[in-house]
Amino acid sequence: MSSKAWFTFPLALSLVGTAGAGSYQAPEDVLQGVIEKVESDYLTQSEQNLMMMADNPANWVAEEGKALFLEKRGPENVSLEGCDFGKGPGVVDGAYAEMPRYFEDAGKVMDLETRLVHCMTTLQGFSADDPAVKERHGSSSDMMRLQSYIASKSSGYKWNPPLDHPLEKAMRDAGNVMFYRRAGSLDFSCDTCHGETGKRIRASVLPNMKVPEEWTKAVSWPAYRVGHQEVRSSQHRVRGCYWQMRQGQIVAGSDASIALISFWTDAARGQPAILPDMKR
Amino acid sequence: MSCYKIPKVAAFATLALSLALGGANTVAETSADKVDYTAMSAEQLADYLIFDARGFKLDVATQEGGTVRQRLEQDELQRTCSALQGARAEGDTATQVMAMARKAITYPEGEIKLGDWKKGEELARSGFGFRVGHNTDDHSEREPGGNCYACHQLDPDEIAYGTLGPSLKGYGKARGTAEAMLKYTYEMIYNPHAWFPCTKMPRFGANGFLTHQQIADIMAYVMHPESPVNK
Repeated sequence: MSSKAWFTFPLALSLVGTAGAGSYQAPEDVLQGVIEKVESDYLTQSEQNLMMMADNPANWVAEEGKALFLEKRGPENVSLEGCDFGKGPGVVDGAYAEMPRYFEDAGKVMDLETRLVHCMTTLQGFSADDPAVKERHGSSSDMMRLQSYIASKSSGYKWNPPLDHPLEKAMRDAGNVMFYRRAGSLDFSCDTCHGETGKRIRASVLPNMKVPEEWTKAVSWPAYRVGHQEVRSSQHRVRGCYWQMRQGQIVAGSDASIALISFWTDAARGQPAILPDMKR
Repeated sequence: MSCYKIPKVAAFATLALSLALGGANTVAETSADKVDYTAMSAEQLADYLIFDARGFKLDVATQEGGTVRQRLEQDELQRTCSALQGARAEGDTATQVMAMARKAITYPEGEIKLGDWKKGEELARSGFGFRVGHNTDDHSEREPGGNCYACHQLDPDEIAYGTLGPSLKGYGKARGTAEAMLKYTYEMIYNPHAWFPCTKMPRFGANGFLTHQQIADIMAYVMHPESPVNK
């Protein structure tokens, strides 16, 4: 390698590394930024939530998650610094904004929750039945602490889930079909509520999948849900929507759930993530 | 020979176990290395992930006496409207859907009459019923409602109303209660695709969500001159 190539190679790498990805920005600032870009009743519906964003209880949950992430745990007594979230072992900055993605070691597309389960069982040696892995909901669960921490490191980064691998594209496209798939006692699909801007269910303004500036907030999970007083995940949102649509219970971590999350993340592409978020 | 017997027995045991569990947890069996996801169309893969890969708890019983699998299986109208991906139904598709919907309407015995508007108001406010999963609605505790307020304005004094559907404030006052209007309103609740093909509104009658009596009560809430909707 000539001395000239030796100098340009790392420079080119660093350019690729930052292009379009963005950098950290506090969630309250990201939200303010998208509010200034588009007129959206969804983004501005709760003045109280906007005021409380800086004191979001999810920030504390993320802090607890950081300690948990670095702690040596499980039968193998190792930290999660050995877990690859797509940008190399232990790299969390901007990693979640590029998920779901295909993982070579698992041979499948994984969302954040599924990847965490994978690392906790394979790397740390937890059994799938261990409460550390099995308990998925609520601010006091390890899962929500870890998810909140990892996701918070993508705040301000633009959603950019990769579609280079054929499985990433296949899952995204199947998720697209699922989004419009009407079924159940009420004939609903995701599009019933998320296909128009400014519409409400009762008093709640709904986000439109086709307006990325609005949709980025919709897919920004984990979020502290004020009505639940708990931090909730993407998987929890998906489960809740199917329940309300009277279509039964989706299996957390199933490829069906990951396909839908692949599609909804793709729909927010290019917009900065708001993490952790605060929702009604 | 005997060394081949052991894995055979083990495989049988695994099959028996998974049958005994009723497919309660088969996520491990759904990994992409078994089937080539990329060889399927998006529609085929979505169906595969829902049904074959058991992306939902398919065997759970539903209030109407079926299973979640049956809830997720699409009928022709659902399939036709899904394929539009949110676009309006036009031309032949619209005609087909309207005909399909009209065929599925059954009417109460005798003439269509208004029921009890007070009962109808309760039903219009209630979002209870037919939810299955981490929590399941117990219909023996409470009857299912129509949840009209989720999408429509009705009583002008109620401020927490949805806007996915048009405002129905003063519906009866503006339209009266002539026989043709009663029939139209009944059909709009029973199977609204007969008038608006691929509407987002549920087929409350055709899907068995509301009974004839409940529809009559909700019609009274919307149409009766004494109802707050028309005050």
